[in-house]
Amino acid sequence: MSNILEVKNLKISFRTNNGTVKAVRNISFNLEKGETLAIVGESGSGKSVTSKAILGILAGNSIVESGEIFYDGMDLLKISEEDMCKIRGDKISMIFQDPLSSLDPIVKIGKQITEAMLLKNKLSRKMGRIEFNDMLKILKENMVEATGNKDDINAEIEEIITTFDKFNIEAITLEHAYNSALTRSEELLGYIADKRFLVSKNQKVDVKAMLAYIASQLKDIRNPFLTSEYDEVITAFIEEIGNVKSSYVAPKFEGASVDTPENVVELLERLDKFLAGVNSGIRPNFFRIGYFKYKKPEAVLDGKDINALNDDALKFLMDNFMVRFLELEKLAVINSFNRSLEGKKKIIPMLQEAKKFFLENDFNKADAIGKIDELSNVLDESIDLLQFNKDSIAYTFKSSINAAVNKYFTSIVHNEKEEKRFARQSARREALISKGKTVDWKVVPKTVYEIDDLRNNIALVIDRLYDKYVVDVNAADLVDFDAMSVALVDFFKDKASQVVYRVTKRTAKERAIKLMEEVGIPEPRIRYNQYPFEFSGGMRQRIVIAIALAANPDILICDEPTTALDVTIQAQILELINKLKKERNLSVIFITHDLGVVANMADKIAVMYAGKIVEQGTSEDVFYDPRHPYTWALLSSMPDLDTNEKLDAIPGTPPNMIYPPVGDAFAARNKYALKIDFEEQPPMFEVSETHSAATWLLHPDAPKVELPKIITQRIEKMKKGGQSNE
Amino acid sequence: MSEKINSNQEPLLRVEDLCQYFPMGKKELHAVDHVSFDIKKGEVFGLVGESGCGKTTTGRSIIKIYDITGGNIYFKGQRICAGSRTYIDAIKEAKKQAKAEISSLSADTKVNPGNKAINDEKIDKIKATLAVAVSENKSEIKKARHDQKNVDSEYAAKLVKELEEKYFPLISAAEEQGDKEKLASLKKEFRKKKHIAKNTRLVTQIQMIFQDPVASLNPRMTVREIIAEGLVINGIKDQAYIDEKVYEILELVGLVREHAGRYPHEFSGGQKQRIGIARSVIMNPEMIIADEPVSALDVSIQAQVINLLNDLKEKLGLTILFIAHDLSVVKYFSDRIGVMYFGKMVELASSDELFAHPLHPYTRSLLSAIPLPDPISEKKRTRMVYNAIAEHDYSVDKPSMREVAPGHFVYCNDAEEIRYKEQLKNE
Repeated sequence: MSNILEVKNLKISFRTNNGTVKAVRNISFNLEKGETLAIVGESGSGKSVTSKAILGILAGNSIVESGEIFYDGMDLLKISEEDMCKIRGDKISMIFQDPLSSLDPIVKIGKQITEAMLLKNKLSRKMGRIEFNDMLKILKENMVEATGNKDDINAEIEEIITTFDKFNIEAITLEHAYNSALTRSEELLGYIADKRFLVSKNQKVDVKAMLAYIASQLKDIRNPFLTSEYDEVITAFIEEIGNVKSSYVAPKFEGASVDTPENVVELLERLDKFLAGVNSGIRPNFFRIGYFKYKKPEAVLDGKDINALNDDALKFLMDNFMVRFLELEKLAVINSFNRSLEGKKKIIPMLQEAKKFFLENDFNKADAIGKIDELSNVLDESIDLLQFNKDSIAYTFKSSINAAVNKYFTSIVHNEKEEKRFARQSARREALISKGKTVDWKVVPKTVYEIDDLRNNIALVIDRLYDKYVVDVNAADLVDFDAMSVALVDFFKDKASQVVYRVTKRTAKERAIKLMEEVGIPEPRIRYNQYPFEFSGGMRQRIVIAIALAANPDILICDEPTTALDVTIQAQILELINKLKKERNLSVIFITHDLGVVANMADKIAVMYAGKIVEQGTSEDVFYDPRHPYTWALLSSMPDLDTNEKLDAIPGTPPNMIYPPVGDAFAARNKYALKIDFEEQPPMFEVSETHSAATWLLHPDAPKVELPKIITQRIEKMKKGGQSNE
Repeated sequence: MSEKINSNQEPLLRVEDLCQYFPMGKKELHAVDHVSFDIKKGEVFGLVGESGCGKTTTGRSIIKIYDITGGNIYFKGQRICAGSRTYIDAIKEAKKQAKAEISSLSADTKVNPGNKAINDEKIDKIKATLAVAVSENKSEIKKARHDQKNVDSEYAAKLVKELEEKYFPLISAAEEQGDKEKLASLKKEFRKKKHIAKNTRLVTQIQMIFQDPVASLNPRMTVREIIAEGLVINGIKDQAYIDEKVYEILELVGLVREHAGRYPHEFSGGQKQRIGIARSVIMNPEMIIADEPVSALDVSIQAQVINLLNDLKEKLGLTILFIAHDLSVVKYFSDRIGVMYFGKMVELASSDELFAHPLHPYTRSLLSAIPLPDPISEKKRTRMVYNAIAEHDYSVDKPSMREVAPGHFVYCNDAEEIRYKEQLKNE
């Protein structure tokens, strides 16, 4: 499994009237594909701020002091708002705490679900086309280079690439026609379902208009791959509809019987069955057929058995094109890989040298920029462009190092304004004290950066790339090029289908209704046209989940999704999120203050306190072997079904984060606090490979401390219970 | 704790057949439907159920925020709330029955004219009994309305009378002695106490803690004003006494004197809830209705508030009606628990009994939904789904609240009662 999201050394603070609130203080975590990470902590511990930073929706007074959030070859903290728009809601989406306040009260539910789909569709098609073309160009260049730039082979490559592009387009058009016919029939199915529902409830139905609409839609459901037999059926249907329509006599006056005639009902039923059959038929493989059609435009595909067609086209494709294409492609992939390996080997010593340069010498701006330019030239070579799973560290290296160096130069400059302010405030404070008054405010300290820290920051960025490349170079022999080239073809197909996929208002409605069904809303067709106030709390939360899933995201962030709901609904929503996670291979970040909720959901848990992660591990680690006193306190302050003795409440309140404590932030409320806890921040101590905690109690010299009784008892009981259940 | 309850069997609060309906266009919403329970002195009674099942409405009906539709509520043996719907329904039912009987008799007369005399006699009899029934029920309605309206004034009158009985002989004695100073001081004291007694209400002995600490405190009042408001309304004007009392209560709930001058927004969530608790405790109530006091709080603060409520209960001998949806908290805090579902009480038992032997399927489904801090068992947990229509067949056999084991009541019909009893035996 690979990391889909990496947060590194994130520091965020908020500027307020009373000073800067340090909300998040240097946290790092990884999120793997298909995994749930739970972030647990009290309110004000910085959990929500972290999630908002990932989505780029931090409040206006926030300052991102340092850190990176890597996603798909990008650093989410440094990209432009325009790029962020392509990710937010599309790749990463969020479920908010209060379902009522996150829905628009005066817009119908259906519109709210389809809105994002319609907005995002156009953009995503455009982007798909651009990415497809770019990648193809790179592939061609690499092929030419790999075969030694000979004229005869170049001509062949030229032809192969054009063929690939063209027949992909052919496939796209075919698939588009097929898709639109299919969606038409799906729409019609939906329409018929609506009408049949009305008929079954004895509601009034305008029979003539309905039949006219169905006939006009049926005419459009035709394309080569719905085969001629369908054609006949459809023609027959249209004829029949015409007959029924002409023989139908509408009631003469208002309030007459609204019964729909039986023959119409029966016709609707048959149509429904037929269309359902159309939709569930075997899907032709357009990639193969597209090539067939491209090579033999005159071939008649209509009426063939789809299975046979698929097989024939595959054979044709393999014999004439694909084998050669794959061969060349593999060469190109190897070429590109080797080139990037060369680049990596070349840049590794340079990185070491650059690190020395930044750490040891006094450098001026021009030198630094020159150094960075030098590095980035080689860096461009070292990136394997044919690798579509982008290497985040390499891609963001330039922006990261630029940011670090810029920060260095802006911070070492003598800040006059700040000095003046500091001098003025200190003088005032002194004067007050000398007058014998009690002063209950502090002078906000000068924002002074240690030069060493700033240099280390730069070195950190370099180190990260260096470590990554060393690992890459060492593992160069183990790469499977066949798999890589097949994956590349899949990537092209994927992009092509992204280009084809067009969402109209009607298809968006069908998708929305499917989504509503998926999240467990009964009678979605009626619910589609209702307003948020007509839904109960649990239903509203389901709608919010449906909206979040509408764009088919990679990462879902749930910010206390069940806090406003009661036990039974909470259990339902949690089950729903778990189910969707499994079905769609989602990665979930689950934010909550209730450890009980987390046990069922999380694969990994991070416990946050005062803007720091104090304990991190798998859910078994944290529940069965908690190490940090704060985790103990959280666990022992919640009663379970067998608790009888007095609860261990955590005394006091979280610290004021304008003046964060010097040592361990939890020390003041911690009855196990050691002296060093008040003086120095504990580092992360590793308990096991997956489990680590930031507390001095784990230091080898620390005194042995007993866990609170309530927890030891509970863990013992759970272990017993777990065994007896097995 | 259990001994204390046993030694004092007289219930402090008795809710009998409580119905609270809200008009909804032509229909009525049955928010609380024939709910009965007793709360003994010194006991914590938990009320659980999902949102919208009528827990909060029950609590609010008890402190007379709503006029109840039907049923009676007795506090310390005195009826504080009474509804008239049951009697109105009884009159309607009696009239309907009488009408049906009369019409059948008159039909009989038409067929057999010979029976006319006998039938007429019968009809007269029926009419007479109907008249009696109607007048009886009407008088009940009158009484109920009277009680509903005048319970507080009657209570105040009773207190005043007691005061008079105590002070009149003293005053007359002083008059006889001719001790003017003593007479004056006695009269002053009597006037002051009478003023307070006149303003006293029985219902103020039941106080409420609200769910949302932020919304339930007036942002424009200082903490002192918020806490002292009840005393002021009650007619106490002595500022020094009020301050003293406020400080005392603040310290009782774990805040300090200095907090009295601050405004609610300067406090954290847990502290705000403490202020809410202080406000309800200052009137020396016998009983507190805690409406989801911890739902809006963080886990660590929840524990603080629960511990505080526990301490107060022991120090002041409070009786608490604890309304919540978090079952593990309710289990920890309550002696007895009532489970509500759509306005009906479906199961009522002591908390250990309820969690050890849940009988009603709804209770079971609720219990199966509790999340626990235990990953392994959590992953195995299967949630039971309760579907009222599929679960019960009440078409013929009507259900009611029945005692299947001592102290364990379940809402069921005959067939289910037998099944539940067997289930208990097997367990």
